[in-house]
Amino acid sequence: MKHRGIAFLLTMAGLIVLVTGMLGCKESTASPLPPKQRLRVATTTSLYDTGLWGYLEPMFEEKYEVEMDVMHTGTGIALEYGRRGDVDVITVHSKAREEQFVAEGYGVERVPFAYNHFLIVGPPSDPADIKGVSPEEASKKLIETGSGSFVSRGDDSGTHSKEKAIWKKAGYDYETVQKAGDWYIEAGRGMGPTLLMASEKQAYTLSDMGTFLSYKGKIELVPIVDRGNILLNVYSAIAVNPEKNPKTNIEMANNLIDFLTSPEIQELIGNYGVKNYGMQLFTPCAGAEPTG
Amino acid sequence: MMEIWHGITKAAELLTTFDPEVMDIAGRSLRISVTSSLLASLVCLPIASLIHFHSFPGKKFLISLIQTFFSVPTVAVGLFVFVLFSRAGPLGGMNLLFTPTVMVIGQALLITPILLGLTISALSGVDKALVDTARSLGANGFQTAIAVLREARFAVMAAVIMAFGRAISEVGLVIMVGGNIRGFTRVITTAISLETSKGDLELSIALGIILLLIALVINLALSRIQQR
Amino acid sequence: MALIETVDLCQRHGERYTLKNTSIRVDQGEVFALIGPTGAGKTTLLRLIDLLDPPTSGKLYFDGMDVTESERLRFKIRRRMAFVLQKPVVFNISVFDNIAYGLKWRGKRRDDIRDKVNSILEVVDLTPYKNRNARTLSGGEAQRVAIARAIAIEPEVLLLDEPTANLDPISTAKIEESILRIANQHDTAIIMATHDMAQGHRLADRIGVLIDGELLQMGDPREVFNLPSSREVAELVGVENIIDGVITSSQEGIAVIDIGGTAIEAVSDYAVGDKVSACIKPEDITLIISKSASSARNTLASEITKVVVIGSLARVELDCGFPLVVLVTKRSVEELNLGSKVKVYASFKATRVHTIKRSEGN
Repeated sequence: MKHRGIAFLLTMAGLIVLVTGMLGCKESTASPLPPKQRLRVATTTSLYDTGLWGYLEPMFEEKYEVEMDVMHTGTGIALEYGRRGDVDVITVHSKAREEQFVAEGYGVERVPFAYNHFLIVGPPSDPADIKGVSPEEASKKLIETGSGSFVSRGDDSGTHSKEKAIWKKAGYDYETVQKAGDWYIEAGRGMGPTLLMASEKQAYTLSDMGTFLSYKGKIELVPIVDRGNILLNVYSAIAVNPEKNPKTNIEMANNLIDFLTSPEIQELIGNYGVKNYGMQLFTPCAGAEPTG
Repeated sequence: MMEIWHGITKAAELLTTFDPEVMDIAGRSLRISVTSSLLASLVCLPIASLIHFHSFPGKKFLISLIQTFFSVPTVAVGLFVFVLFSRAGPLGGMNLLFTPTVMVIGQALLITPILLGLTISALSGVDKALVDTARSLGANGFQTAIAVLREARFAVMAAVIMAFGRAISEVGLVIMVGGNIRGFTRVITTAISLETSKGDLELSIALGIILLLIALVINLALSRIQQR
Repeated sequence: MALIETVDLCQRHGERYTLKNTSIRVDQGEVFALIGPTGAGKTTLLRLIDLLDPPTSGKLYFDGMDVTESERLRFKIRRRMAFVLQKPVVFNISVFDNIAYGLKWRGKRRDDIRDKVNSILEVVDLTPYKNRNARTLSGGEAQRVAIARAIAIEPEVLLLDEPTANLDPISTAKIEESILRIANQHDTAIIMATHDMAQGHRLADRIGVLIDGELLQMGDPREVFNLPSSREVAELVGVENIIDGVITSSQEGIAVIDIGGTAIEAVSDYAVGDKVSACIKPEDITLIISKSASSARNTLASEITKVVVIGSLARVELDCGFPLVVLVTKRSVEELNLGSKVKVYASFKATRVHTIKRSEGN
């Protein structure tokens, strides 16, 4: 008798699981139309973690009747996927590497479409006393005194490249920085997760304005260093070159780039987040290279 | 502490209202893992029978090798499948990377060693006298194999269930070859990974509860079977 | 033509020969019992006949066909035989499904299978257990399932390896009854291995004695049990009195054997001077108090050395110049007041003394 009870419970549990499975099964509902095209986009995490892609994706999908797959990768991985032809478009923010990508023939053209600034954020207590100084001076102070922890993206992303550029400008070889001490932490993760980690550890980190603002409620960090030309952060979209990878969907890729640089969408990008965060997360720049 | 409690209550809300995103992710996890388990079983059960019933040079070594692969790191298999199916790779023309299909293939590959090893084990547990009995009653090779599989059915079922358990709870492979695309290749484990890293606990907790429920059902089923 | 015939069958296991030059013939409808001690090679021979294992050397014919021709032929022939193993082995499914297996594998129709299995369940008296998992049955019940399984396919040859070895007397009787019925009603040739002499005696038309891989004697029960051809066979079949002596005279088939000074008379064809072993079964000897009460040719004065009562019988060991074992009833022990040191006469007929020629050094 006891066995019957258990068998019944199991069957019930099994049925519940099956039903859950069915409910999530929207793909199985028969559709008379042929399956939609797919466009694959590999994006830097800051465009994803701010929710900008989540905001723009449905609009693009509806307009062009296409399924867009946005992959939360980070600049380094996005470039690799682009080289292999596993995605159709990449949206990243690392000018030097983007230019090389295009020069090597993997990308068609570098099209900047939005920008904001990086900033160094840190604990309100500012243990290294670097508030308000220039990025280069801040770096010098951190590495010479070791009085504050710094969490690096450590993941070959655009933000990571920018961080390395700052160390270089301050006169330090990146390898030296990596070995400088326990105060330097390599997270190996996206922007959002890195901010969370820095907050937990009461450490400094380099972040783009967009992600920082969108994580405001979740972290205890404040802006520490936000002035300096080197902190300019430009986002570009690059279509993967069909000459190197014939299987990519170049037509739809170009549609996406047109979409991103179109006046309506540019306006939407500029207004994104203003209501929630009180300031712009991104400044549109429609295909032209911003200066400051 | 408040954060966790807040997360749990929100998660309960998501579950009881059958939130579409939660259902989509959970359903996909189940579909992919059930498919990969069935696919792997279809291939592995006959192969395991062949290995068990025939003697050949190197048989012991082969079985050792299979057992060594029981705990192959999922990211290693993931890397292998990724390189295989990437457009730059040998099977790139099939256009399967970042689709649920390649996730099924990858998971099936991952659980193959377990399925093979445990099924061979199950078959070995059957009294040799039964094989003689079957033969003497006139069973041909295939009929004998089926009779032995039927005899070991509970152990074989346990093997399949264990393989399913491994498939549905792994992360490394499905992230690498699936890409964790929302609404397309995102499954319970990859969603939990992403949402947690972004600090959004509600969805993670809701999915975690579902995953635990699935694990519970699996374990109940296993213990029932192992009692027989 | 015999249904089964083996010619010089040999089987080797590593260094040892488990079967040496065994040649037997079994006909349709015949019950052939293979008797011998454990490890004599009975199972080996049965497995060879069922074509489960290939022989090291020798030939096997089924219905005149040489089975060594092809694997296909062996498979087809194996399907015409059935083998019940020593240890009752049942599949972990219902009794019904167990019995139906052989029929299922031959592709019989479901209705036919159902009818056949149901009738067989009646034959072996297992109908109430039809849907029970066979693993839940007792040893005796499981063995009946195994036998039912074997006869369900209506084999032309039924091989049984010590089928009642682990069973209680009632189950044993039931199974023996089924065996005889199968042989008679279906003309099935039955080859049965057993170490129970009495069972062999009860059921067999012919007996083959297998000792240490060698077939030492083959014949009907009377021959084997009363006229063992060698000392080993004699010991096996329970002839407890095997006494060595020399024939001193022989006349009209009656020989006088000198056993260390004592003379006994036996019916024997051997010649004077032949060294022989005289075999006398304990139950063929009677004990009497006075010499004149017996008409038997052999009446020997003896002294009892030991009396052991076993149930309603008694085993009396005595010395009459050589040791003798006699089987009498418990009643006789009481009536004649038999006990240690008592003097009696051991009396037995010359016809009940069977002589075996002794080889040198035996």
